[in-house]
Amino acid sequence: MRAGPSQEEIRRQNLGALLRLVHMRGQISRAELTSELGLNRSTIGALTSDLTATGLVSEEAPRETGRAGRPSLVVRASSEQVYVYAANIGVDRITAARVGLGGVILDRRESTRPSGDVVPPLRSFIQSMESKVDTDARCFGAGISVCGLVRREDGMVRLGPHLGWLDQPVGIALQEELPDLLPSVVVGNVADLSALAEHTRGAGVDCSNIIYVYSDVGIGAGIIAGGRRVTGHGGYGGEVGHMVVHPNGRPCGCGSRGCWETEVGEEALLRLSGRTGQSGREAVLAVVDAAVRGDAEAQAAVRHVGDWLGFGVANLVNIFNPELVIFGGTLRDVYLAAAAQVRSRLNHNALAACREHVRLRTPQLGDDAPLLGAAELAFEQLLADPLG
Amino acid sequence: MTPGDTAAPPLLELRGINKSFGPVHVLRDVDFTVRAGEVTALVGDNGAGKSTLVKCIGGIYSTDNGETHIDGQKVNIHGPRDAAHNGIEIVYQDLALCDNLDIVQNMFLGREKRSGLILDEPAMEELAAKTLAGLSVRTVKSVRQLVSSLSGGQRQTVAIAKAVLWNSRLVILDEPTAALGVAQTAQVLELVRRLADNGLAVVLISHNMNDVFAVSDRIAALYLGRMAAQVRATDVTHAQVVELITAGRSGSLGLQPEEAL
Repeated sequence: MRAGPSQEEIRRQNLGALLRLVHMRGQISRAELTSELGLNRSTIGALTSDLTATGLVSEEAPRETGRAGRPSLVVRASSEQVYVYAANIGVDRITAARVGLGGVILDRRESTRPSGDVVPPLRSFIQSMESKVDTDARCFGAGISVCGLVRREDGMVRLGPHLGWLDQPVGIALQEELPDLLPSVVVGNVADLSALAEHTRGAGVDCSNIIYVYSDVGIGAGIIAGGRRVTGHGGYGGEVGHMVVHPNGRPCGCGSRGCWETEVGEEALLRLSGRTGQSGREAVLAVVDAAVRGDAEAQAAVRHVGDWLGFGVANLVNIFNPELVIFGGTLRDVYLAAAAQVRSRLNHNALAACREHVRLRTPQLGDDAPLLGAAELAFEQLLADPLG
Repeated sequence: MTPGDTAAPPLLELRGINKSFGPVHVLRDVDFTVRAGEVTALVGDNGAGKSTLVKCIGGIYSTDNGETHIDGQKVNIHGPRDAAHNGIEIVYQDLALCDNLDIVQNMFLGREKRSGLILDEPAMEELAAKTLAGLSVRTVKSVRQLVSSLSGGQRQTVAIAKAVLWNSRLVILDEPTAALGVAQTAQVLELVRRLADNGLAVVLISHNMNDVFAVSDRIAALYLGRMAAQVRATDVTHAQVVELITAGRSGSLGLQPEEAL
């Protein structure tokens, strides 16, 4: 028989839970911590002073609360002092940011994606941001978001179809470049990480069943079921862009035919609106804009894509019965311009019981979601064992 | 609050509203329900009575007969002040903002806060900034900007923030995305959705079916002064809503042939 958890394990668990709450809210009063964690008031006091001693959080007297009684101290994440680096490698652009505990973006750099190796520009972004940091601040690692298939165990990018990547160990490469600064570098899929960010501090805070459909050039989904991320056995799950919706459809870059991506991806929208050869977010927005202004070809393209978007979402809703579907990346604009088609198709094709409570939403964190999600991943180890 | 939570009485319920202008019978026995935490889209062809209905709710027009219930309690609304007192605010299509005043002055116009004899500018400024921040509005740089310097989308945002400022519970928006570009339409739609997600009841008047489906939980279709149907957005298709607007019925939904005269 296994012995119960030791006192030390319980303490580590409680410290982690407390720090995670402070991290999610940014700041929270001791009284709220007591009621949220269900721990004794004096335990909260002891745990908080442990965390304060290590500089992870700080405590201060609150401003006017307007309530009776002695106001409870406010515990605040030391965002400026405790931070990670986050990067997002998109098809067209790379972005890097310094993200403080509490999910605050403190600094950021951005450029177009170089055709070659992305590690040198990422390193110089990080070095330039690091040069502005206070000396008493501590870096707890980095997280990278990539539009590709990422192996969970070591962060190897197995395939980045639109990046032209095959077996790229981008995380390990970056860590080797900056071994003193970055204790570890974790890598995740952009849709998964966006879903994680929206679930932690965005549109999906109160939901535990979320599907975040993200489109850059290809389509992917971050799935959260029962409050947990669903990424599959190896970490490659959520590739909804490659579910076959049209067996006799167009060939897909993956070698299959009629994948969802071939009907709702950027390339499909641009081809249908007579803009073959163009690419990128600006081009997608131009089609949506033209459709709203009355360009018949663009309108037909947006309607077609909206219709097929509805087909795919109906499938996902039937399988996962989510409470929230978020359309991110360029799909945000496509959804808002074609919501009537998407909704109609969903209402027509999905089972009534599966769809009745599903909310269709756009992201609350916008383009910061991949960065904030990558930061969540990088903070994970600290939150699991704050004093470790 | 979850949409479709039917246990609590609806925030606003109109029963059997009639309104005539002389010989013209504009609203005929209209029933209309609005729930907190939901966006209810009010759709209908030109002249169907959308604006008249909204003006009846806002106390601009008196109704000939029918009942208004708020939180299940019968109330009498005799003017815009009664409506405001009940937490009802309307944002009209022309926004009714003063170009020569700044954002704070506009938001508090006619209802300025005072401390003693003078205006309490710091308090108003703080409240205005807090309201805009609460709506996650990041596009406005300073609350002391003149409204004339704002873009169409920003003006709409200020007008909506002005309506939200007064602890309002029901905000009615008349064509908030008309005359806006794509990017600004998207921002305003997200703002409309956020109002409801924050617990307010929202009525959205729009002719754009994409806007309607993008944000609403329920759709109420008026047809020649009658309420053709009030349906959940998860139960209908675009084609059905268009039929309700243009013909007053769609299959088993809406007015039956003998009544749709």
